[in-house]
Amino acid sequence: MKILIVEDDTALSSFIRKGLEAEHHAVDTADDGEQGRAMALEFDYDLVVLDLNLPGVDGLSVLKSVRQRKSSLPVLILTARSRVEDRVQCLDTGADDYLVKPFSFLELAARARALLRRSHLPSESVLTVRDLSLDRVQRKVERAGRHIELTTKEFALLEYLMRNAGRRVTRPMIIEHVWNLNFDSTTNVVDVYINYLRRKVDDGFSPALIHTVRGVGYQISPEGASA
Amino acid sequence: MSAAYQPSLKLLQDQEVLGELLHSLSQPLTSLRCSLELSIDEVAERQQAAVSLALQQTEKVIGMIQLMREYLDAEQPGSEAHPVALAPAVRTVAEELSSIATLRRIKIGVAGTCTASVPVPEPRLRLALQYLLSALIQAARANSEIRVWLEEGSSESVLRVECERGARFRDDGARGSRSQRDSVSGTLGKVRLAIASRVLETAGAFLAMEDGDRPGFVLRIPRWLATSSSPA
Repeated sequence: MKILIVEDDTALSSFIRKGLEAEHHAVDTADDGEQGRAMALEFDYDLVVLDLNLPGVDGLSVLKSVRQRKSSLPVLILTARSRVEDRVQCLDTGADDYLVKPFSFLELAARARALLRRSHLPSESVLTVRDLSLDRVQRKVERAGRHIELTTKEFALLEYLMRNAGRRVTRPMIIEHVWNLNFDSTTNVVDVYINYLRRKVDDGFSPALIHTVRGVGYQISPEGASA
Repeated sequence: MSAAYQPSLKLLQDQEVLGELLHSLSQPLTSLRCSLELSIDEVAERQQAAVSLALQQTEKVIGMIQLMREYLDAEQPGSEAHPVALAPAVRTVAEELSSIATLRRIKIGVAGTCTASVPVPEPRLRLALQYLLSALIQAARANSEIRVWLEEGSSESVLRVECERGARFRDDGARGSRSQRDSVSGTLGKVRLAIASRVLETAGAFLAMEDGDRPGFVLRIPRWLATSSSPA
């Protein structure tokens, strides 16, 4: 996929570029609003990652221009403004999603994948990792043909891990997406539920699919963890 | 008028300066966080623990910055905030926190109902309720129950939350402050309670914390809040 990053902080822009390129995307960058708008309108991109606070033409103006000419191009907004009203304004102007700084790259990558998936593929009803399958419609989980009974939260956690299969997800990402709560570093709820899942999904099966990524979080992967 | 105007102008300026500072801090912190996340796989194994520690510390700083933002935002009710029904918000937050409470063998029971609405953006109301209930979960002893009542009075709706057996509510995080970690989490716990209090009181509700044998809180929503953003 081809992604345009419009971000005036060149250090940040280069980190995002490096990370997205490692996920096999082709990435262009623009470091001001005028250049970003020109590139977004002139070239074909699958996704634009757009900072709001840009020198010259601001991000909202770029977003408005993109929406007028390319209504279906997904735009992910990066913003330092966290107020509800600011988020609503972004979405009302036509943003598909937003991330508040200081964000995690892993969160940005997950949101980018979700936007790309939404714009290119029908939503999958059955997620599969090796011999583990999760049916989102029938709410059934099987491994090697054996039915696995999960609680609502365990199911949601496994679904989130499987939607990001092969990629790392952090504890804050999990607690925000699965529990819909603000992350509190003092809670161990994620680790406890990962243990519950491991007992049901990995115990008695080979290989183990749920891996701890030291210092980062967790990953579901058929090949083993990257760290 | 000018006597009242000057302090509020100063407060506004202070908030703007703090907001700008937080905004400026968030930029390098984003770079730092992304850089550490991306390099953790690239460094030699003997350096991974150091990078991992740096990442954890960076995330702690980011968590504190987010709390400072929430604290600043809490006094801005939002000019177009539609009143949000309290009862469904309470039930949703209690449900969301139930799995965390269950881990500590604490039960949350919600009873009653009320028609009150609070003129505050919904995510901020949920955040305030989340912080209040989370603090009680932390304070409650294992195998106890947190009881939540919603009541309708003649001039106000009342949300009462009480912990059957718990430690002092407001000193929640300060307990066991022997280590630096406990001290930091205690401070963060207090800031979260302050944010909840600011959000709800800025919206016109009255919040009272209750310590004693049964710690908890009482939130009173005057009836006029449902239809207006200021008292008649």
